[in-house]
Amino acid sequence: MSAPVRIQEADFSQDEEIAALKAGSKRIGGIATFLGCARDFSEGRDVHEISFEAYGSMALAEMNKLRSEAIAKFELLDARIVHRVTTVRAGDNIVFIAAAAEHRAAAFDGCRWMIDELKQRVPIWKKEITPQGDSWVTPHP
Amino acid sequence: MIKVLFFGPIADRVESREMQLEFTPGMTLHDVISHLGMQYPGAFSLVSFIAVNQTQVHDKQTVLHDNDEIAFMAKFSGG
Repeated sequence: MSAPVRIQEADFSQDEEIAALKAGSKRIGGIATFLGCARDFSEGRDVHEISFEAYGSMALAEMNKLRSEAIAKFELLDARIVHRVTTVRAGDNIVFIAAAAEHRAAAFDGCRWMIDELKQRVPIWKKEITPQGDSWVTPHP
Repeated sequence: MIKVLFFGPIADRVESREMQLEFTPGMTLHDVISHLGMQYPGAFSLVSFIAVNQTQVHDKQTVLHDNDEIAFMAKFSGG
């Protein structure tokens, strides 16, 4: 079975990630997921591709820490975080986060917290490739 | 030697992703920032986070050791 926290070039399967969670516990009553995908526009411009770069070793360590913190903070039964680092086109998957809990509130809260924290804490950067040229994305909420 | 890493927009402005600096005993993070900041002011204006050996540091007086790895990073934009 694949690791619950990964950085990879290849696409991921939401079904496989969810199956991995469900295989781990019969106490799970709800799984909340977040799928981040590539838009074809940004701030009024067409975006052809988005290119990702990561400080791989630190990013993976921080994502593992984030998962452990989320499990403890929201009493999750399990959680998974997968982020692609490659060049993607509009509609392609970028990031998948899933939080499994006994009840939905913890699953929703844990999932939301993990993607919000990931954006703040994990050293990954994205560059938008547009007809007007390339530009690094300035983070916003 | 000290390994210095640059990522994202900072790497673009430095026009390099990695460089090596000669280690001298007593060297601090501040010494490295001063040295490189003078050479690449445009790049260092973007630095929001600094890590030493994959751990974020805030104290610029952090004493470095031979073979340390320093990363200069702009604000993150993953997800």
